[in-house]
Amino acid sequence: MECNEVMHALILFIDNEIQDEIQVQTFQSHFEECIQCLTEMEYERQVLTRMKSLLSDECCEQAPEDLQTRIAQQTALLAAQMFSPTQIITEYRRTETTFNGETHIEIETTHEIRRDFPLS
Amino acid sequence: MAVALFPMSSEIDIKTPAQLLATETVVERTARFERDALQYTNQLYAAALRYTKDPHNAQDLVQDTYAKAFTSFHQFEPGTNLKAWLYRILTTTFINTYRKDQRRPLISDGEVEDWQLAASASHTSDQGKSAEDEVLENLPDGEVKRALHEIPEEFRLAVFYADVEGYSYKEIAEILGVPSGTVMSRLHRGRKLLRTLLMDYAKERGIGGSDGM
Repeated sequence: MECNEVMHALILFIDNEIQDEIQVQTFQSHFEECIQCLTEMEYERQVLTRMKSLLSDECCEQAPEDLQTRIAQQTALLAAQMFSPTQIITEYRRTETTFNGETHIEIETTHEIRRDFPLS
Repeated sequence: MAVALFPMSSEIDIKTPAQLLATETVVERTARFERDALQYTNQLYAAALRYTKDPHNAQDLVQDTYAKAFTSFHQFEPGTNLKAWLYRILTTTFINTYRKDQRRPLISDGEVEDWQLAASASHTSDQGKSAEDEVLENLPDGEVKRALHEIPEEFRLAVFYADVEGYSYKEIAEILGVPSGTVMSRLHRGRKLLRTLLMDYAKERGIGGSDGM
């Protein structure tokens, strides 16, 4: 592996985005032989690690408490909307027929499902 | 005529996760959502700030994201990454709601192959290295965030998801709805811009670079 190839794909190596084990080993054996590339890789990795830690320290804002409350209320409201309009309306029709002293009873059932939900 | 609420599932039966979801009641789903999804409010808020850059809109964005997430929670596949799923919804909500009326040309992702560190085309000088390291070490609080908010949105989000959240290119691609190559390009350019901004800032303020760099 040549120096320029290593430098070209350096960030992939640092980001652990090289999936192929053999390729990773090719990089590593280059670093064992080439002090310049090794220094460069370690430097880039160090800067990136520092940037990551600075970014993580500053980009960790806490959500205001009333936002948490509003989300909880919203969830409860949406759940209620999903829950209540879902109705099954069942109708029974009973037909009684008496003929020659024998009574024949027929029960007919119909279901109607009513849903105002989902919202989308 | 009898009116009955939707019946609760009460059968005891061995079911696959998909079957369980299909028979899950609203009450059960709500409990699962409250237990699993609401814990990410802080992370979603921090991410939303990277999109909107102002706390008021960020709060609205998070609230809208949770509304969409709840109404489509039955589509979430249990066992997969819930936080990443929420970030995906955050992204689409932002694009659909908050960016609708401020159309602007997107930064070209044209040269996808232009992702290698420019600094790496040649080896950085040792002098340059120590100066940059010194600058990063001596930055005042809030400076990195200020710089992050100065770089274009596409780059900023790639940097946030990679360097704060630690996602892989592929995961970021799914969250942002763009190809992995685009993520790579944006991430590289974003990081480079960020470093340039911080070095420029330091030069103005005389931070680091004691050798007059």
